[in-house]
Amino acid sequence: MIPFTLIRAESLQQALDFLSREGSNAKIIAGGTDLMVELRDLSPDAKGPDTILDITPVDEIRGIKDDGGTITVGALTPHREISTSPIILQAAPLLASACSTVGATQHRNIATIGGNVINGSPAADSVPALIALNAEAVFQSKSGERVSLLKDIYLKPYQTDIKDDEILTAIRFPHLPDGARSSYIKLGRRNALAISRMNVAVVLVIKDGKITEARISPGSTMPTPDRITVAEEIMIGEEPGEELFRRAGKAVSDEMINRSGRRWSTPYKEPVIAALTTRALWVAASEGV
Amino acid sequence: MKKLKLNITVNGISHTLRIAPNLRLLDLLREELHLTGTKEGCGIGECGACTVILDGRAVNSCLILAGQCEGREITTIEGVTPEDGLNPLQQSFLDNGAVQCGFCTPGMILSATALLHHNSTPTEAEIREAISGNLCRCTGYTQIVEAIQAVADGSKE
Amino acid sequence: MNQNPKMIGTSPKRVDVREKVTGTARYGEDLRMAGMLYAKVKHAEYPHAKILSVKTARAEKLKGVAAVVTAADVPGNPAFGAIIIDNQPIAGDKVRYLGDAVAVVAAETEAIAEKAVNLIKVKYKELPGLFDPRESLKPDAPLIHEGGNLIVHHKTRRGDIAAGFADADRVIERSYSVQRVDHAYIEPEVVVAYFEPDGTLVVKGSHQSIFNIRSAVAGVMGLPLSKVRIVQASLGGSFGGKDDCMSVLGCRAGILALKTGRPVMLSNSREDSLVESYKRHPYFMDYKVGVKDDGTITAMEIKMVADGGAYASMTQFVTWRSVVHATGPYRVPHVKTDVYGVYTNNTYTGAFRGFGSPQITFAYESLMDEIAEQLGMEPLQFRRMNILHDNDITATGQKLDHTVSVGQALDVTTKAAGWEAKRKKFPEENAGRIIKHGIGLACSYRGVALGAEGVDATGAIVRIHPDGSVDLTTALVEMGQGLKTVFSQIAAAELGLPIGRIQYRKTDTSIIIDGGPTVASRSTIMGGSAVKKAAIGAREKLCQVVAVKLGVVPEDLIARDEKIMVKDDPARSVSFLDAVALALDAGLSLSSFGWHVSPPIWWDEEEGKGDAYFTYVYGCQIAEVEVDPETGKVNVIEVWAAHDVGKAINPDTVRGQICGGVATAIGYGLLEDVEMVDGVTKTMNLDEYLIPTAMDVGKINAIILENYDKYGPYGAKCIAEPTAELCAPAIANAVYHATGKRIRDLPLNLERIVLGHKLVKKKRRVR
Repeated sequence: MIPFTLIRAESLQQALDFLSREGSNAKIIAGGTDLMVELRDLSPDAKGPDTILDITPVDEIRGIKDDGGTITVGALTPHREISTSPIILQAAPLLASACSTVGATQHRNIATIGGNVINGSPAADSVPALIALNAEAVFQSKSGERVSLLKDIYLKPYQTDIKDDEILTAIRFPHLPDGARSSYIKLGRRNALAISRMNVAVVLVIKDGKITEARISPGSTMPTPDRITVAEEIMIGEEPGEELFRRAGKAVSDEMINRSGRRWSTPYKEPVIAALTTRALWVAASEGV
Repeated sequence: MKKLKLNITVNGISHTLRIAPNLRLLDLLREELHLTGTKEGCGIGECGACTVILDGRAVNSCLILAGQCEGREITTIEGVTPEDGLNPLQQSFLDNGAVQCGFCTPGMILSATALLHHNSTPTEAEIREAISGNLCRCTGYTQIVEAIQAVADGSKE
Repeated sequence: MNQNPKMIGTSPKRVDVREKVTGTARYGEDLRMAGMLYAKVKHAEYPHAKILSVKTARAEKLKGVAAVVTAADVPGNPAFGAIIIDNQPIAGDKVRYLGDAVAVVAAETEAIAEKAVNLIKVKYKELPGLFDPRESLKPDAPLIHEGGNLIVHHKTRRGDIAAGFADADRVIERSYSVQRVDHAYIEPEVVVAYFEPDGTLVVKGSHQSIFNIRSAVAGVMGLPLSKVRIVQASLGGSFGGKDDCMSVLGCRAGILALKTGRPVMLSNSREDSLVESYKRHPYFMDYKVGVKDDGTITAMEIKMVADGGAYASMTQFVTWRSVVHATGPYRVPHVKTDVYGVYTNNTYTGAFRGFGSPQITFAYESLMDEIAEQLGMEPLQFRRMNILHDNDITATGQKLDHTVSVGQALDVTTKAAGWEAKRKKFPEENAGRIIKHGIGLACSYRGVALGAEGVDATGAIVRIHPDGSVDLTTALVEMGQGLKTVFSQIAAAELGLPIGRIQYRKTDTSIIIDGGPTVASRSTIMGGSAVKKAAIGAREKLCQVVAVKLGVVPEDLIARDEKIMVKDDPARSVSFLDAVALALDAGLSLSSFGWHVSPPIWWDEEEGKGDAYFTYVYGCQIAEVEVDPETGKVNVIEVWAAHDVGKAINPDTVRGQICGGVATAIGYGLLEDVEMVDGVTKTMNLDEYLIPTAMDVGKINAIILENYDKYGPYGAKCIAEPTAELCAPAIANAVYHATGKRIRDLPLNLERIVLGHKLVKKKRRVR
């Protein structure tokens, strides 16, 4: 492995101080499940980060809080904690579901939601659920706090707009509307230790038999994650049903092609993301309260 | 590279070591402490042969920097082996044909140990999920699951 | 006569588990020696190129580097090989696949060695590459080796193929293909090589076929066999995979040990293993079958091409097993089979559990279902019409003079799985469901041990020490399959001792004569027979002296419960320990060597016929699956696997082999593929090369059938490989049952199920 200096940040302040000075030549390590693989891949002569900043001791950005209106998940919270949290299971079950599928047990014990978000993989497991929750990303730096809608931080695959002197400290999202139903489906090649071949998170609000709100966020489909509003709009004011959900699914796959173009994987992805979306909508509509 | 001072507890014994900052926990265990029971199968956290228990949870030691373990407690396969004989999980693996080549075995036992510590009455599905990060190419997992189930059932009495 | 029935057919605890569950077992990478250096390989940068120059000076000057070697440093033969001597541990004239080594570095640490590798500059003249084995024999194909791209052509001929087709009411033609797969043992390959003061080269490591490795290393190092010692460390899985590639590692490390005078460890990363080590042969298979309308098969014409990759390795043997078994366990009066093994610039291919059978069983068992459907018959019904029975003649003209239990296997498995009911029920239920349910089966026959492809003989040594303790040595190795335990059981059974009294000596080439490789599922039948002979030999010495003492003849005595006793009057006995003392007093040697040679078999390469194996095993597996046709995901819910093993000496280990083999075949059928594009391996680690996890393998019901075989110890035959050859076609047939989609290429991954064909990424991943 390439040489570097390892610095442990005992507090958020310490971490931010360090990054304000040396952030451009440093990488942050938390769970390490992505970074360690990256570092291993570097040739021994390659130029890597001068410093690795270990923020695992920074307890203040770990944990889940609910103030009744907004749920705040500390960036350093491991997936296992999120997937078993009574708060998340009750108020955002799609996120619990998403986090329960990351890698395997060993990963979920240390990999953090912050890491999953900042790594910026188009196949990130938690991101579509967070986007469907209209999540915000909270960044801190020595100069203060920056909040951004989560979907807006992504510039391109594996790249967010995080600055060298910033740490992602929390992801937060408002409670879902009353009576909202949600679901999350992940398709992997195998049932554990699997990258999302594709995934999708949906939220539906159904009042008096009609859909009043819809959110759809697919993963492993586009260069940067987003809600697919063209598909959502189709459903507003309509009754849930097979034909409607199929149209919504098709709208998602059309939008995928619109944004990503036709690629080598499109013949597979096109019908499958449509099918997964349709299925997720069904699950949400019929069970996902 | 300047060496880092590290205080770490492994299998109940406290150590103070000077290590390279880029040393993986896996290498600290195998090279510095000569605990070779923990194995390397892939180096990228995809096989679980390097599984150890960190603060009570199963983790892949190839994905953790030793320097991140300041003040923390690690348990390896050597740490769960009694002075004499075998612990109930080890005995159950022996009794139930759960070991063939044995390379995945230390990691499997530690994942099972962590599982049973947090959930002493797992279902078969929960057992399979707990060991889903430990690849085995020899056994097809059947007898491993049975061995863990037997310990769980035994502890119900 | 089995003197101790309690020892055979029961499952005493495995004798090698204690060290494995406590983490004290020592695998190759756990070996440490004073002054040990670490080696790293400079790999080829093109899949096919002439090497013009190799500049190592800068690497040699790097602080901490002890030596850099190239082909010029090879002291003996530049290459080795089982039949064709073509595998160069360090490439000299040209590189033929990207796993070739152009230079090897030994340094104080792996990190320094890696840096040094990057300082080595190689100039190449790139040559056109050959990557599709179907192109290998075309006249304008690039030549991988001097003698042409054909490694071997085997054939089977029976009857008159034209007459056979004339006899048929219809002729069905189908083509199938199977992919390149990796053994994916959890322990990657590793050696430690060093010289003893007397000039003996010792190579310790993750070895499977220790005598093959000794042969190769001796040749390349220019040493006599007696000066090369191959010592097996605890082996973290092999499945056929740690043979030639271990010879390669042994040679590379040996050359460095010679140059530096220090021990050298060469340890493969998982990436090295996936790129360098040999794989299972991809096959392209064309079948043409003649059938009557009543379902009788009249003729089969089969053509197969096997991708041998850059080196011949075991291609000749793998393809021979295929040519013998290509028609499946069926009566086929007219047969014309041709199997071609060819060179390409892909990773070379060799032994992997099954050895030419998983490929062909996928083809012929898919085909049987397809033909059945054409005829409007049930798959089971069609098979029952055609399967082999006792005393039938095989495709190679051999009369099967043992219990041919493929029918029994079909019966038992289909009953256990509830076959009839599910075949009817699932299609009805599927109508209203998205997730489709299906059930499919596959059956096979398999020749046991090496067969007529080579001399099959092996030995064992049983030594009884003055204190009554016993040690047992064989030429065959434990790799997790339970060999130490089963052999210890046999020795214990014949000596009348508890299994704990038998110390199995870990094997090494210096303590026993070459007894062949631990392959072809030959260990129980061949090695077990040798152990039995050796143990009986030792027992006879004891009986000789006890007979004198008790005033009986030796034939009246048996060994049981740690005594030598009169069979019909057990009260008259001498303790084992006393018997040992008597024997030693009489000047007898209590070291007994047992040598077992296979019964006579033959093969006529010209005519394509013969008695290919001295006995066969039979098996059937049924897979119940759930298929999501919208995403292509297949889950294997349950498998029933029945295998005739002759006699299960240790039923627990047999069950372990069945479950392991099924899991391997699930990977083969659904997940695994060493993707290579233009000679570049794209699946570089276990995140991309996917094997089943515990959540990908459903319930496995292992069913042991026992039909005593006269050639095996206590009637035992084999288990290891037949278990891995059936689940993939069973799954393919189940997928068809579930979805009506017939897919003739493996793996049945997500894209193939949805699209019916493979998706190929256009971009290459750079290593």
